[in-house]
Amino acid sequence: MSTAVIDVNDLKTYFHTEEGVVRAVDGVSFRIEPGRTLGIVGESGSGKSVTSLSIMRLLASSAQIESGRIALLRRDLVRLPEPEMRSIRGKEISMIFQEPMTSLNPVFTVGDQVMEAILLHQKVTKAEARQRTIELFKEVGIPNPEQRVDSYPHQMSGGQKQRVMIAMALSCNPKLLIADEPTTALDVTIQAQILDILRKLRDERGMAILFITHDLGVIAEIADDVLVMYRGEEVEYGPVLEIFANPKHPYTKGLLACRPRLDTPYRLLPTVDDFMTVRVVEGRLEITEKQLDAMRLNELKTHGRGRLLHPLSELAAMGHAVAPIAPGSARGSATMPSTVDPTQRNPPAEPGATKDVQYIPEGTKPLLSVENLEVHFPVRRGLLARTVDHIRAVDGISFKVYRGQTLGLVGESGCGKTTAGRATLRLVEPTGGRVWLDGVDVASLGSADLRQMRRRMQIIFQDPYGSLNPRMTVEAAVTEPMVIQGIGAGRQDRRDRAAALLEEVGLQTVHLRRYPHEFSGGQRQRICIARAIAVEPEFLICDESVSALDVSVQAQVLNLLKRLQETRGLTYIFISHDLSVVKFMADMMAVMNAGKIIEFGPSEAIYRDPREEYTRKLISATPNDDLDHIRQVVAQRERTWVSRK
Amino acid sequence: MLTTPPEVEIALAESAPSAGFWRESWRRFCRRRLALVALAFVVALMAIAAAAPFIAGTKPIICKYKGHIYFPALGYYNRAWENPIFAKDRFRGRYAGTLAEKDPDSWAIFPLVYQDPYRRVRAGEWPDQPENPFGKEGVPSRYNWFGTNPQGFDVFASMVHGAQTAVSVGFVSMGIAAAIGITLGALAGYFGGWIDVLISRVIEVVMCIPSLVLILALVAMLDKVSNVHLMVIVGCTGWTGIARLTRAEFMKLKQLEFVSAARAMGAGASRVMFIHILRNALAPVLVPITFGIADAILIESGLSFLGFGASPPNPSWGTLLSAGRRSIEETWWLIVFPGAAIFLTVLAYNLIGEGLQEATDPRLRQDAH
Repeated sequence: MSTAVIDVNDLKTYFHTEEGVVRAVDGVSFRIEPGRTLGIVGESGSGKSVTSLSIMRLLASSAQIESGRIALLRRDLVRLPEPEMRSIRGKEISMIFQEPMTSLNPVFTVGDQVMEAILLHQKVTKAEARQRTIELFKEVGIPNPEQRVDSYPHQMSGGQKQRVMIAMALSCNPKLLIADEPTTALDVTIQAQILDILRKLRDERGMAILFITHDLGVIAEIADDVLVMYRGEEVEYGPVLEIFANPKHPYTKGLLACRPRLDTPYRLLPTVDDFMTVRVVEGRLEITEKQLDAMRLNELKTHGRGRLLHPLSELAAMGHAVAPIAPGSARGSATMPSTVDPTQRNPPAEPGATKDVQYIPEGTKPLLSVENLEVHFPVRRGLLARTVDHIRAVDGISFKVYRGQTLGLVGESGCGKTTAGRATLRLVEPTGGRVWLDGVDVASLGSADLRQMRRRMQIIFQDPYGSLNPRMTVEAAVTEPMVIQGIGAGRQDRRDRAAALLEEVGLQTVHLRRYPHEFSGGQRQRICIARAIAVEPEFLICDESVSALDVSVQAQVLNLLKRLQETRGLTYIFISHDLSVVKFMADMMAVMNAGKIIEFGPSEAIYRDPREEYTRKLISATPNDDLDHIRQVVAQRERTWVSRK
Repeated sequence: MLTTPPEVEIALAESAPSAGFWRESWRRFCRRRLALVALAFVVALMAIAAAAPFIAGTKPIICKYKGHIYFPALGYYNRAWENPIFAKDRFRGRYAGTLAEKDPDSWAIFPLVYQDPYRRVRAGEWPDQPENPFGKEGVPSRYNWFGTNPQGFDVFASMVHGAQTAVSVGFVSMGIAAAIGITLGALAGYFGGWIDVLISRVIEVVMCIPSLVLILALVAMLDKVSNVHLMVIVGCTGWTGIARLTRAEFMKLKQLEFVSAARAMGAGASRVMFIHILRNALAPVLVPITFGIADAILIESGLSFLGFGASPPNPSWGTLLSAGRRSIEETWWLIVFPGAAIFLTVLAYNLIGEGLQEATDPRLRQDAH
C-alpha cells in the first residue's frame, strides 16, 4: 500500500453555541491514497461538510477541532500555523463547492479568476498563467477555451461554471481535491458529465478525491471507498461494493432501502425508522437495530396503490403496449440490504392486495384536461422596453389527468415543468391554451370564480423553508385557507380541523402553536401538505415537493403523499427533476424539454422502453447503484490500478 | 393499507413555549445594553411628556372650589379642558392665592414644581418662593433648577412641557410618514409595472426637493404656525426612505413561495399584501422609522431655533435654545440643558434604531426565512 495522501484519525470538531456544545464531527477516521476516491455520504446535519472544512481549517469561529489528527502527507494540519496552512490551501488541497453560481465572483472574467489562483501559488508570468488557464479549460472540457477565458460567470451555464471551478481547483496540481456536493445543483445529464471529468482527472493526475454528497447513487458512480456519517458519527466505512452489497449498520441499510430507485419493487418505501430506533442518552446517540421482517417488506411491496393508467384505447392511440406491467421486473437487479430475502422480490399477489395495474374505464371524463397550454414571457429591449421576442417557457403542452391518477412531469431545469404547473393553477397567467377542470375552463374564470376553483386544486411547493410564512403559527397557516374559503364554523371548529389535519400528516396537536422555524424540513413539508389539504381539494400539484429533503425524510413524505392519495382519493400532478422519484410516484409520465412534452405514456413503459433520444439520455444519466454496475466499475478500477503500477 | 403512522423525525420539546419572531427579537434587543438604556430613556421621556402638567405647573392637579371638584391642570393639555368658572371668576391663571381668597373652604393639590412654562412666576404666589429672576440673573437655583429665560420663565418647566412637543412631533410626523411610505411602497413593490414606475417617480421627485426649504416655504405661507402644521409637513416630506425600503422588501418577499401558497389558496391582493408580506416587512421598516423620529425632533428643534417653529408661547426645546443664542456667553444654561435634552433624545432614538436593526436583521438570524 502506498502512503496515504490524507490520513484523518479520530477527528472531533465541536461547535460551541449558546445552547451548548454541538458535536458536529465526533470521532471520524479515514485515509485516502493517491488516485483513489473516498465518498462521504450523509444527510443534512451529519457533519460531512464540517469534516471537509476541518481539513481545510476553514471552520467558523464558533467551531473548534477538539482532538484528532489530520495528516496531509505526514504533516499534521491541526497544529500547523495559519500562514503555512494558507500555502497549503489551493496548492496541496483544493476544494470545489456545491453552488457554482455563487462560488465565482461575478465582476471578474472566469479566466482572471483561474489565473489569480495560479499566480498566487506559482512563480509564472501573466502570459504563462493565461496559457495554463486555457490548457486547464481544455482539460475540463470547456469548448473554445481561448474565447471562454474572457467570459464573465453570468455568460456561462451552471455546468460550465462548475468546470471553471474544477479548473481553478486543479490549477496548482493539488494532491487532494475536496468536492463538497459538486453536482447537487446541476441537472442529471450535466452531473454525469462532471462526474466523468472528475474520474478522468483523478486517473490522469493520480489525485486523491474526497467526495461529499447526500446521494448514494452518485457515490456508487464515483467512490472507491465509502464513509457513512450520521449526526456527526462515523457509522460505516469500507469499500464501495462492500457497503452496497453488504451493509452492516442499520442506518446504511435504511439509507440504501429508502431511496426510490428506478427499478424499485416497492409501492411504499421503507424508511430509516424501519431499520433502527434512535434515542439520545446523555447527549450521545444510542442506535438500536430493528429487524425488518418479511411481512413488513411484503406489505411495502403489495399494499398501497398500484398503477392507474389511462383508458386502454388512449394508451393504444399513444402506441404503448397494453399488457399488464409488473413492477420490479425491469432491467438490472435490485440492490437490497442483506436483511431482504431475495426470493421475496416478486411475491405473488396476496388476497387483499390491490392489483398492480388498473385502467380507467373507457369513456370516463378526465378530471383535468390541458390543451395547448402556452406561457410566453416577453423579452423586452431598448429604451421603450419594446417586446422583441418571447421566451417560450411552456410551448403548447396538452395532457389529461383522470380522477385518482398521478401524472408525473419530469425534465431538467428550465424545461418549463414548474411554469406548466403554476399556469395550470393560474398562479402564472397562461398566454394561450385551455385548462379544463371537470368541464370548467380555468383560464377564463373571473376572480371570484377563480377563488372558488382554488378550493378544488392546491399546490405544494419545493422549499419547505420558503413556503410557510415565518411570522405565522402553524395554526394560523393551516386555518388560513379555511378562512379564505369559508370552511368551518368559527375559530374553534377550524382549530379542531387543523389539529385533525396535523395528525393526519403525522404531526401532533401541540404543534399548532409553534412557529415554522422550530420544525425540520420534513416536518415543514408535512405542514404544507396539511395546509394544502385543509380545503379538501380534489387535485394537488406537487412541485418538486421532496427535492429539498433528505432521502430518509423524502421516503416518509412520499409515503405520506401516497397514503393521502388513497384515503382522500386525490389526483396529483407530481413535478420533479428526479426521474426515479417521478417513476415511483406517477402512473403516467410526461417528459418535458424546452417547453414541450416530448414523451408521454405510462411511467413503467417510458422507463423500460424510452422512444426519444432525450428520455434515453435522462435515464442513462441517472446515477446507477445496482450491484452489477458497481461491480463492473470496481473491476475496471482494479484493472487501471494494476496497470498504473 | 399500512396502519403505522409516519414517524416524526425530531420530537419537539413539548413544554417550552413557542417563541415568535418578535419575542425572539426582543431577546436579542435586550442583549444590547446601550439600546436598552436608550429605550428606558425614551420611555421615561414619554412618561414625562405625558405627565408634564403634573410635574411642573402653576395650576392645581385637583382642587375643590365652591363645592365642586375641578382639574385645572388639564388646561395645559387643552385650554378648553380648564373649567370656564375660573375664567369667569378672574383667576388669570393664578390659583395658589386666588383659590383661598375666593372660597375659604377650597383645597388644592399642586404639581411637584410650582413653575409655569408660559409665564413668569411672581413673588408671593407660592409661600417662600421669590420672584423669578430674568436676563443674566436667571442662573439655576433652588427654585429654578435649570435657570430662567430672558423673560423670567422657568427653563425646567419649559423643558418638561417641551418634551410633549418633542415626543409628539417625532411620533405623529413619523406616523404620517410611515402610513404614506408603507402604503405607497407596498403598492409599488407588490404590483410592479406602471404602478411601480409612477410611485417610484413620485418618490424621486419628493426626494429631490430639499425638505428644509420646502418646510420653510410652507411655514412662510401659513399665518400662524402650530405644532400640528410642523408634524404634517415633516411627515409629508419624510416618507421617501420608508417607501423605498418597503418597496424593496415587498419585491423580495413576493417572490417567496409562501406568497404563492397564499395566492393558491385563493387569497386576494390585500390579504397577501397586508397579512403575509407586511408582517415580514415590518421589522426592517421599523428601523428607518426610528431614525426618522430622531430626524423629526431635530428638524422641529432646528425650525424653532431659527424662529420658524410653532408660534410663541411655545415651550419647545428649540425655542429655548434660540433664546440662549443671543447671550450665549452669559446665559449658558439656556444652551446646555435644552441642548443636552435634544442631543440625548436623538441619540437614544438612534441607538434604539440600531438595536432594532441588529435584533431583526435576517442575516444575523439563522432561522429567519
